[in-house]
Amino acid sequence: MKIIKYLILSSILIVMIFPLLWMFRVSFSPGDLGMDLISLFSTGFTLKSYLDIFGSGQMAVYLLNSILVGIVVTLGNILFCFMVGYAFSRYRFIGQKFWFYSVIFVLMIPAHIIIIPLYLIVYKAGIYDTYWALILPFLVNPIGIFLVKQYIDGLPSSMEEAARIDGAGELTIIARVVMPLCKPALAVLAIQSFMTNWNSFIFPFILTSSESVRTLPVGLALYQGHQAIDWPHLMAGSTLAVVPILIVFLFFQRQIVSGVTAGAIKQ
Amino acid sequence: MNSRRAVGSLFASPWILTFLIFWLFPLLYSLYLGFTDYRLLRPSFHWVGFQNFAALFSDSAFTEALKNTFYFVLGTIPVTTIVALLVALLVEKQFAGRTIFRSGYFMPSITSMVVIALIFTNLYSRGGYIHILAQILGLGPPENGFLLSNKTALMAIMAMDIWMSVGYYMLLFLAGLKSIPEELYEAAVVAGAGRTRQFFSITLPLLKPVALFIVVINTIKSFQIFTEIFVMTGGKSGTSTAVYFIYETGLSRFEFGYASAAAYILFLIIAVFSLAQFGLFQQRSLQ
Repeated sequence: MKIIKYLILSSILIVMIFPLLWMFRVSFSPGDLGMDLISLFSTGFTLKSYLDIFGSGQMAVYLLNSILVGIVVTLGNILFCFMVGYAFSRYRFIGQKFWFYSVIFVLMIPAHIIIIPLYLIVYKAGIYDTYWALILPFLVNPIGIFLVKQYIDGLPSSMEEAARIDGAGELTIIARVVMPLCKPALAVLAIQSFMTNWNSFIFPFILTSSESVRTLPVGLALYQGHQAIDWPHLMAGSTLAVVPILIVFLFFQRQIVSGVTAGAIKQ
Repeated sequence: MNSRRAVGSLFASPWILTFLIFWLFPLLYSLYLGFTDYRLLRPSFHWVGFQNFAALFSDSAFTEALKNTFYFVLGTIPVTTIVALLVALLVEKQFAGRTIFRSGYFMPSITSMVVIALIFTNLYSRGGYIHILAQILGLGPPENGFLLSNKTALMAIMAMDIWMSVGYYMLLFLAGLKSIPEELYEAAVVAGAGRTRQFFSITLPLLKPVALFIVVINTIKSFQIFTEIFVMTGGKSGTSTAVYFIYETGLSRFEFGYASAAAYILFLIIAVFSLAQFGLFQQRSLQ
């Protein structure tokens, strides 16, 4: 029985990771692979595709753009989602209920239907085809706000009260008391926003046009059109797009899982 | 206490601004555009009433795209949900190597959609591994690969999407399974219920909220399918979808008014499911 179970589990595992292993293998091959499985092993290994990418290719620019935009958006998300989530949880202000419903509303509407007006707004604001277009609309995201608010709701406010009685100012309380307590939630938020941004395609695609501000997924998607597909180079670029995510995944599995399940299960 | 109110508004302002500028305004703006004949390089544009909407429903490119989208949603979601549940049940209990299997199954879900689409473009093409496998199995795949034939292109993309998202929904099912109290199973054993009986009387009914949540969010997501179509077929071989149509008319032919009208039709269709999600959300927060 046990053997059968492992046999089933392993077959599924092979199906799930074979395409990724294939990508990895092709990225090291000097040319296209043959049509048989043997060529997976018999074809030679070379770093040429990677050296080309880092040497001269546009792909290095795309990679740097992805890193830059990913870091800025993630830092923005940590700061702003924390601020907003904290405000929703601990303050009472005018229109609070309405603004909180606007968070839930945006969480639930399909983002792709606003591509036309977003393009027009970004264009008319004069930031089309700049880093600003890749950053400004995404600095705060509703999932992050929701995550932080839920988390702070669950924290007792007694420590904040104690600090207030001791005469600590609002900013001191936030920086010294609340933010350290929120670390687990902020870690989930940071990882999720980095991964979402890193893999994002449609928005960076419609909001930019020149190669100098192109992110990696957009660069890869448009690479095809350049010439007859050069698979080793394309797969080397793809590997570079996947590896950071895999590293994040290996180190932060718990946070990723709790990010995925945060909305589904009442904790 | 007025200053606390001011501080609260100040802290919330990044969201308020983002919402107004990048969400509310675009939504209203594109509703307005949907009733105009606005397009690039046209100096002035006019209110045309429901003309765009009427034209869309007699535009075979749009109805075809809408049909493909529904086909995609109805074809993938039941399969993804059931396979994800079965896989979750397989890796639920503790056993040696469990983490490896769980992580491996989840991996496609965190990989860039563009990268996956590129990989499968090769595997599905003539001489690609999936194409060859289909030949060996005697399935008679289309001669030029799966993505160039109207008969198989959309199906192939659907299969890839199922492959990609199973791991993600498996995780959600696992969280659901974990939330079922162990005592229920113990009580069932005492009452003499076998494994099958336990599954149908305890596991399945208690997983219903998670399953419902999965179906709703997956539906909303699947109605917006775009990236894989753009990369793999460019909307050809009978694979154009609603968002692809919106992109093509709006941002490639720059017919902003017409594309906005199409976007609103899709919005209204998805709104039904968004409302269902909102209902689920409220139910949960009332508990």
